[in-house]
Amino acid sequence: MKKIILLVLAIAFTFSGCEKDDICDADTITTPRLVISFYDINNPSELKSVTDLTIIGEGKTEGITFNESTLVNGSTVSIPLKIDADATSFSFILNYGNSDTALVNEDELKLNYSRENVFVSRACGFKTEFTLDPITPYVHTDAAVADEKWIQYIAVKNSTIDNENETHLEIYF
Amino acid sequence: MKHTLKYIFSICLVFSLFLVQAQETTTLKNTIDSTSTEAIIPDNGNLKTVKLPEEQQQVVVPAKTNRYGLRVGVDLYKLTRGLYDSDYKGIEFVGDYRLTKKYYLAAELGNENKTTDDTRLNFTTKGSYLKAGFDYNAYENWLDMENIISIGLRYGFSTFNQELNSYKIYNANPYFGEIPSIASGEKFNGLTASWIEVVAGVKAKVFDNVFMGFSLRLNLLVSNKTPDNFENLYIPGFNRTYDGDFGVGFNYTVSYFIPLYKKKVEAVVVPKKPQPKR
Repeated sequence: MKKIILLVLAIAFTFSGCEKDDICDADTITTPRLVISFYDINNPSELKSVTDLTIIGEGKTEGITFNESTLVNGSTVSIPLKIDADATSFSFILNYGNSDTALVNEDELKLNYSRENVFVSRACGFKTEFTLDPITPYVHTDAAVADEKWIQYIAVKNSTIDNENETHLEIYF
Repeated sequence: MKHTLKYIFSICLVFSLFLVQAQETTTLKNTIDSTSTEAIIPDNGNLKTVKLPEEQQQVVVPAKTNRYGLRVGVDLYKLTRGLYDSDYKGIEFVGDYRLTKKYYLAAELGNENKTTDDTRLNFTTKGSYLKAGFDYNAYENWLDMENIISIGLRYGFSTFNQELNSYKIYNANPYFGEIPSIASGEKFNGLTASWIEVVAGVKAKVFDNVFMGFSLRLNLLVSNKTPDNFENLYIPGFNRTYDGDFGVGFNYTVSYFIPLYKKKVEAVVVPKKPQPKR
């Protein structure tokens, strides 16, 4: 009998100590980023790596950090979308900071989407899931300094953005 | 931490009640001594042990009665919490009815209105609950004491609604900056939950018919009707929910015993102690 009371006491104390301690686990799927894969326009089934690509969001001066660097050298990149607006514009600058200014090329990409806030947990709160606009998912323009678009073709692979495990947008260049 | 302190204070209070009872029992002990079969008679300054007549050795303890009735009370913790916590209003009535020497029918009826302010969520839960079950008194009382150390089971049912006041969006990549809490005001009505509760409790008689009690509860959710795009993070009566189905609770009660009838306990003949041979 006494043992039961002691046990209940012990468990109760254990639980009472847990309040407010819970932290959102890093493995939890929260607000996803948009995953872009780069393909070769001449060989559309082959991934193609970009060189020193910098992506700068509208109203920002710093590029998006991906894998601890603002310069992307690889065939995929994940970029965060604004969670308080239904459109986000980005500047995609190839060969950023290259001394040969002829190689530097800037394109503007505006993404249109709808948002839905989904409950995750007490510790994480909510997350935002995006769905790319079915009619005009993106608007592709050249930068203010006309230097011909380096992006040749854009295709929407998955319009629903609810995780980062799949490619949402394919860019051919 | 705040909660842990409350538990400690409550335990100390309950223990202090036991001290009061402990003093009463020492006086009662003297009456038991009167069954002693030996008397000491002064004889010219020399103490001499004299044997009492044989009939007097078989002393029968006066017939003991147990009182049966209804005990009703209120949870002081819930009642007083509203005074210092502006985010909480609640009341809980407790009651038990003595069925047999050891078993009591027990129930709790309550209503709560609590606003939970977490780091990422702020929501208000309003609702009522009823818990019904039994208590088993494992404490062997001396004479006419009526203290209880019990273990019991309850089935709890709650009907409530929730209102999400504000929330934050978790964004692991705050490139565009953290955005402040979003006001929501979304209401989730018609929610229900039920659970099984294991109760370990103590009730001590402080003075005539007035009892102070304390109980700890372990809850296990049986059913939980959750709303779309939200969860029942707080259930009236069950308290905070965790990732699993378990929960904890406690109450600190003052109750009044309404005696309805008495039952005689079988008269117990105190067995004669074997006399040491001289």
